[in-house]
Amino acid sequence: MSMNLDMISLNSEFSEGTGLRTEEMLLNVGPQHPSTHGVFRLVVKIDGETIKESLPVIGYLHRGTEKLAEGLNYTQIIPYTDRMDYLSAMTNNYVICHAVETMMGIQIPERADFLRVIVMEMNRIASHLVWWGTYLLDIGAMSPFLFAFRDREMILELFNELCGARLTYNYMRIGGVKWDAPPGWIEKVKEFVKHLKKEIENYHALVTGNEIFINRLQGIGKFDAKTAIDYSLSGVMLRSTGVKWDLRKDEPYSVYNRFEFDVPTATEGDCLARYQLRMAEIEQSLRILEQALGQFPEEGEIMGKVPKVIRPPQGETFVRIESPRGEIGCYIASNGKDKPWRMKFRRPSFNNLQILPKLLKGENISNMVAILGSIDIVLGEVDA
Amino acid sequence: MLGFAKGLGYTFKQLTAKKVTHFYPDVPYPMPPRFRGIQHFSPEKCIVCNQCARICPTECIQLTGKPHPDPEKKGKIIDTYDINFEICILCDLCTEVCPTNAIVMTNNFELATYSRDELFKNLNWLDDNNTNVREEN
Repeated sequence: MSMNLDMISLNSEFSEGTGLRTEEMLLNVGPQHPSTHGVFRLVVKIDGETIKESLPVIGYLHRGTEKLAEGLNYTQIIPYTDRMDYLSAMTNNYVICHAVETMMGIQIPERADFLRVIVMEMNRIASHLVWWGTYLLDIGAMSPFLFAFRDREMILELFNELCGARLTYNYMRIGGVKWDAPPGWIEKVKEFVKHLKKEIENYHALVTGNEIFINRLQGIGKFDAKTAIDYSLSGVMLRSTGVKWDLRKDEPYSVYNRFEFDVPTATEGDCLARYQLRMAEIEQSLRILEQALGQFPEEGEIMGKVPKVIRPPQGETFVRIESPRGEIGCYIASNGKDKPWRMKFRRPSFNNLQILPKLLKGENISNMVAILGSIDIVLGEVDA
Repeated sequence: MLGFAKGLGYTFKQLTAKKVTHFYPDVPYPMPPRFRGIQHFSPEKCIVCNQCARICPTECIQLTGKPHPDPEKKGKIIDTYDINFEICILCDLCTEVCPTNAIVMTNNFELATYSRDELFKNLNWLDDNNTNVREEN
């Protein structure tokens, strides 16, 4: 994007249709705004109620994770990844561990792999629940937010029991996981899956069937598959245009190839399609969870054979996995020392956000928040 | 408007549902046994190996040792031990590397203070923080 704030010029001209003199105006949204879900600033040029141009301003939450990582050893970087996509810290933990394990060729014990998949899928559900609640809050429905957070709380409680934190888990280690499941934990997760399966029906009754809601979202924020690929979108943003691409299915990592699940897609590419896909993804995650809990090994190690000092061989590697927001990738360039020479994260929120100015152009200002919300960004990840 | 009415029906049902909120500041909120709260430090266990200070991702631990007062014994004993809770992220790595469990997590998590320098905790404070100490480490 080559536009900056100085280049936005305002016109005042006679509108041809009505002969009225209209004036363009700059509207600043954020960085502190409830609907931007964090510190995100959006400068929009509006003519009446129509958006002419928009400029996202990011970087308010930039902490330089990638640069900091160059001064830390690989285990020390894991807590920093918790703070990128703080709504699904488990997938971030996984991507860095997976990258280092791929580089060093470390074998992960089966039990650790299952624990990882279970926590990642639970985290995906928790993340989608936050999205569901806050998105509906954005477009004016209060009660779904309360229901979503009530059920998300159960996941956080389970994580708290497992690894001692509610949001910044720091659960995975290179070669396995830090904690084994405490006694009775697996049963609690099973109960939770049963509970959420029932609740999902209620969520649909509460929101999905609501005619006002459907009319509000249908046909806005629309784009096609070619645009999505050109902008290198991933996750639900891509699948809502009909491209069936899910790394859990197409490039299986961990033990995902042992489970049966569908990759929900839609062809409309609008906000409603993205809503429906995220809801369908919760159901698919529950399916994976059920199978993973059923096949969970009775006993076994939770840490593989790992050298005391982790020194990946000289070279570079890039791995990618499916996070709730899309493809999260981790690139490591190593010079054989215990610290990375260069580390780069491909953050899906950052890539998905790039399409926003295109989607907003020509839209009504009242649709702005609905479109921004449907992209599902986490600012910790956008700015890293 | 059938879908709309169905949604309202679900909301109405919640009138009789069980409460899910906690009376947190009035009633203490119990945390599970593995919870990562403010660290407890036992000076008598510490062997001044410096591993906790080295693993800390935010470099919030500072420690110094002094020679053992008994000249016949080898090694060092701890002299000062400070954790700066302005930057500590309670990531659990210090307790993970400690070979003698001198530093362990507790279930206490209330760290709010009126002044930033109160967050700088020294050896005595960390030693006195000995309630709800975590069993598993």
